[in-house]
Amino acid sequence: MLAVRDGDIDCMGELFERHHGPLYGYLSKLTGNRAAAEDISQIVFQRMLKYRHTYRDEGKFTSWMYHLARRCASDHFRKSGSAPVSVDPSDLDDRPDEARGADQSAVARDDHALLQKALGRLDRDDREVLLLSRLQELSFTEVAAILECSVGAARVRAHRALATLRDLYFQIQKENIT
Amino acid sequence: MNCKDCTERMAELADGKLDEKAAALVRGHIEGCADCSREFGGLRATLEALDRLPADAPSHALRAKVMGHIESEKLTLGKEAAWASSLRSARWRQPARRPSWVPALLGALGACALLVLGFVLGERNATQRQLADLRVRVDTMGQLVEQSVLQKRATGDRLETVLTAARTTKPDDRVIDGLINSLAFDPSVNVRLNALSGLYSHADQEVVRAGVLACLPRESNPMVQVSMIDFLVAAKARESSPELRKLSLDDKADADVRDSARRAIDLL
Repeated sequence: MLAVRDGDIDCMGELFERHHGPLYGYLSKLTGNRAAAEDISQIVFQRMLKYRHTYRDEGKFTSWMYHLARRCASDHFRKSGSAPVSVDPSDLDDRPDEARGADQSAVARDDHALLQKALGRLDRDDREVLLLSRLQELSFTEVAAILECSVGAARVRAHRALATLRDLYFQIQKENIT
Repeated sequence: MNCKDCTERMAELADGKLDEKAAALVRGHIEGCADCSREFGGLRATLEALDRLPADAPSHALRAKVMGHIESEKLTLGKEAAWASSLRSARWRQPARRPSWVPALLGALGACALLVLGFVLGERNATQRQLADLRVRVDTMGQLVEQSVLQKRATGDRLETVLTAARTTKPDDRVIDGLINSLAFDPSVNVRLNALSGLYSHADQEVVRAGVLACLPRESNPMVQVSMIDFLVAAKARESSPELRKLSLDDKADADVRDSARRAIDLL
């Protein structure tokens, strides 16, 4: 990113190749909407280019990227005025899967769908801290920098969010059984 | 340690973020408490499920858009003098580019001369219809010249022209030719991608499919190549199979392009 800031715009392509997958994965789970995740990812990279002069050689590039992503996602939620769309497991299995190991695949898909639904029901702040700390494998120091809070606060928020997710996950499992 | 303290810290334990002493305390309580043990089991199961969540992959369109933006930014900055220089030589090497602007200009001048000559020589018996025909010819040639001159304009202007052409609800042959021309020759990846995008709604026309197929071997950007392959698959252009086979075996082609070509052959 330092090279991009100093005028080597070609390096932006390399940054895109390296980081767009995890960034899209994060936004996809944060918004619960693939199209929105693609739009926001695009905006994040556009803003990286636009605001490259503001990049400072402090901390990791990924922290800066997720910081931008967080702001872009907030803009998206404000404009759309909508909460993330949770996935309804019943929508996912319209057709029977007859491939070998289909039973296990179906169970795994159901499990993923349940968790996506539970994530969708979390508060956005909780979902955000959980995704950053767990799925993006960022340290709490980095998460704290992204969320603009203390390391201790980031840790407490992440663990509370995890406990809330667990409750939602099992609650939805029960709802599906009954 | 009581259940309340244990509950507050068990997420950290499950996440492996407690130091040894604190972890031993919490673990000790969990082992002796059925309720906390159940709570902790649930937390671990949630974390495991979270870790198993598959990573979604974005579509090719994201890459195309971002790379197009990067390309535009480079051009806007004008800091790529070497790139511009190589671009000029690359354009010089493309013989098909040159004729599009010179004959159009000559044609327009010829048509104008014809119109003027008609008046000068006093061909007063020319019917209104003949004059109208001439005017249409001049107008059409003028538009052609205008379009050719556009090729000399800034990327942003060319992009705007392509986007306008792509939005045209009932495009004539000239507009479609213009889009194919841009796809074949425009130096900007962004313009070429948008031209291709504009051709999607006309994929049912044989001339459009043939145009995209003809552009594929001369395209050097992997992103545009993959987008063209996607187009040919969406258009069910079975006639593109030999070209795709050739591309899938081309060692010099990008790995993603070869994969896309192979997938396209299977789909077609």
